[in-house]
Amino acid sequence: MDNANANANVYKPDLMEVVSVRQQTPDVKSLSLRFIDPERARSFSFQVGQFGIFSAFGYGESTFNICSSSNWKDRIEFCFRKVGRVTEALWKTEEHDVVGFRGPYGNGYPMDVWKGHDLVFLGGGIAMPPIRCAVWYALENRADYGEITIVYGARSVADLVYVDELDEWAKHERVRVVRCVDPGGETPDWKGEIGFVPHVFERAQVQSKDPVVLVIGPPIMIKNTLPILDKMGVTPASVYTSIENRMKCGIGKCGRCNVGPIYICKDGPVLTMEQLQQLPADY
Amino acid sequence: MSEIISQSGLRQLVADRIAAGTIVSGPTQVKPKLVLYAVLGSPDDLLLEGFVRPDNSIKECVFPKQEELYGYRIQGNNIELTDGLTNDDLTNDDAPVPKQLVVAARPCDAAALPILDHIFNWDFKDEFYNRRRAATTVVTLACDSHGENCFCTSVGLHPAAERGSDAMLFELGDGSYEVRCITDKGRALFDGKTEESDKVGRADAGPEKKFDPETVRAFVDQHFEDPFWSQHALTCVGCGVCAFTCPTCHCFDIVDAGPSAGNARYRTWDSCQFPMFTAHASGHNPRAGQPSRQRQRILHKFSIYPNKFGEILCTGCGNCTRNCPEGIGVLTVATEIDHG
Ligand SMILES: Cc1cc2nc3c(=O)[nH]c(=O)nc-3n(C[C@H](O)[C@H](O)[C@H](O)COP(=O)(O)OP(=O)(O)OC[C@H]3O[C@@H](n4cnc5c(N)ncnc54)[C@H](O)[C@@H]3O)c2cc1C
Ligand code: SF4
Ligand code: SF4
Ligand code: FES
Repeated sequence: MDNANANANVYKPDLMEVVSVRQQTPDVKSLSLRFIDPERARSFSFQVGQFGIFSAFGYGESTFNICSSSNWKDRIEFCFRKVGRVTEALWKTEEHDVVGFRGPYGNGYPMDVWKGHDLVFLGGGIAMPPIRCAVWYALENRADYGEITIVYGARSVADLVYVDELDEWAKHERVRVVRCVDPGGETPDWKGEIGFVPHVFERAQVQSKDPVVLVIGPPIMIKNTLPILDKMGVTPASVYTSIENRMKCGIGKCGRCNVGPIYICKDGPVLTMEQLQQLPADY
Repeated sequence: MSEIISQSGLRQLVADRIAAGTIVSGPTQVKPKLVLYAVLGSPDDLLLEGFVRPDNSIKECVFPKQEELYGYRIQGNNIELTDGLTNDDLTNDDAPVPKQLVVAARPCDAAALPILDHIFNWDFKDEFYNRRRAATTVVTLACDSHGENCFCTSVGLHPAAERGSDAMLFELGDGSYEVRCITDKGRALFDGKTEESDKVGRADAGPEKKFDPETVRAFVDQHFEDPFWSQHALTCVGCGVCAFTCPTCHCFDIVDAGPSAGNARYRTWDSCQFPMFTAHASGHNPRAGQPSRQRQRILHKFSIYPNKFGEILCTGCGNCTRNCPEGIGVLTVATEIDHG
């Protein structure tokens, strides 16, 4: 909990300067940010898998995963799809503009618990950002983890994000990257797979003993992935996801993110399938 | 022996506090048939009898409907965070918090404050709430009657419950009140204002118990998907009146007022009864219809909150049923569950 000053206004954001902007797809951009306050820049730390509440002043706040690695000390990054009021405003930000940031919030991935395991990352569409931070973290601590498999798909070739990084990851040893697009989403020169993430993953015949799996994407993708993992003998306790219940405060007050007995902003957003199966279907 | 104060003495005390700059709130007849807690301009505005309870709650004294969190200035691509724009804002950590006095609160309102303390203080501390709370003195008037929607006794309270109050008033039937001070704040307020007497005030016996909260908890925990919710909540129009008039509902939104309003960020009341409350950006909404939102309200009050904080998130005030255009609310739903 980042609340050193007992009287602090927990809703006041840090100010961050936009260092760079990248358009990833027709409706997805990523921003790289640095803290304007040098003291905050020095003291800030987070865990991959945590999220922030970012603001476009004049428009409001929105929740996004921090999608950079926690080892990158000079900046944090997030990646967003343009869908509404705040994301439309963020879309217009340029280098040197200032945005707000509150966080880091939520639990993050238990990267220590994952040590010694093979890692399987399965992502669909805009789910790549919350996977990306964990992939970089694992690559930066390569000796701690076994084989790494990444299956990433989107509706069409144009909707894939961080494509250049996929290529970069594939160059690492003991890393396998499988790209796919939904049927009909391919271009004539598409060299990846065609099909939905769960099917492509099944076809990829990943041989892994006791892997940790991180699967993030639309509910239907997750649902269709589980039986395949079950066949591979992966138990629900080893399958993680990050869920996106609408949030406002991020600090367990505003009541928005309740799922059964838990506040996703505090006890999530990272949950195992085992935990998720015990919750009512309210996500 | 007891301490008593006459009604004129009580009104004088209110007049003195107003004159001293304290924000004094209490039940007021805002129009025929509508009694609300509101800031009193004069002690004569204070309504002390002839109604069951106000149709709103005292939570607005510690958790206003709309509250400025901070302001900001936009200059080119530079942003500067500022204190708020309003005079009574608490955005500046050192700003003095206006003293508040609530007079003639109902026990079911006062009890809500210690219940709300949990949510505003677990882990992160919400100093907006805490500072207003610390600056507020609550004087509760024990109920001398109850209405058909009251059910305090079903959730562990009663018309003379002291919880959350700094002092209690009990009617003596002769135009005066017995005063029982509970906290230092209460004692300080009434210090030198009361007379000794041998009269003892009384309160209403309260409504009979209407349902067992344990039964309600067991039901909601086990009937997430159940036709019950459609059968009992399909008529809900999603107006949110239940939540807005509830002493314990505390959900909020955080919104920007925008440049035309001078650039500030506010928190505003929100409700789990609104469709957008849980709508994901993808269009998916885990609570797609009104019945699931009603279920959430009961689940949160009788299962989630008690599991997490050890207390039911309801004081039995009956406002949610009293004010609901469809007659739903906790009382209706909980009795259907218990008697169903
Ligand atoms: C933990 C977490 C992590 C997240 N991470 C990411 C991430 O990394 N990247 C990302 O892109 N997103 C992420 N999200 C989702 C992101 O928070 C939302 O996309 C974002 O808040 C949208 O904000 P907005 O103001 O632009 O949209 P809003 O204006 O709030 O609109 C959102 C959606 O609701 C619809 N809508 C708005 N108002 C109405 C109305 N009155 N009636 C009907 N529909 C309406 C809009 O059309 C739109 O589809 C995450 C969410 C959570 C909870
Ligand atoms: S239960 Fe009644 S008061 Fe509450 S939202 Fe529904 S119609 Fe409105
Ligand atoms: S839930 Fe209804 S009865 Fe209970 S405290 Fe709130 S308004 Fe009163
Ligand atoms: S986002 Fe406000 S309680 Fe979780």
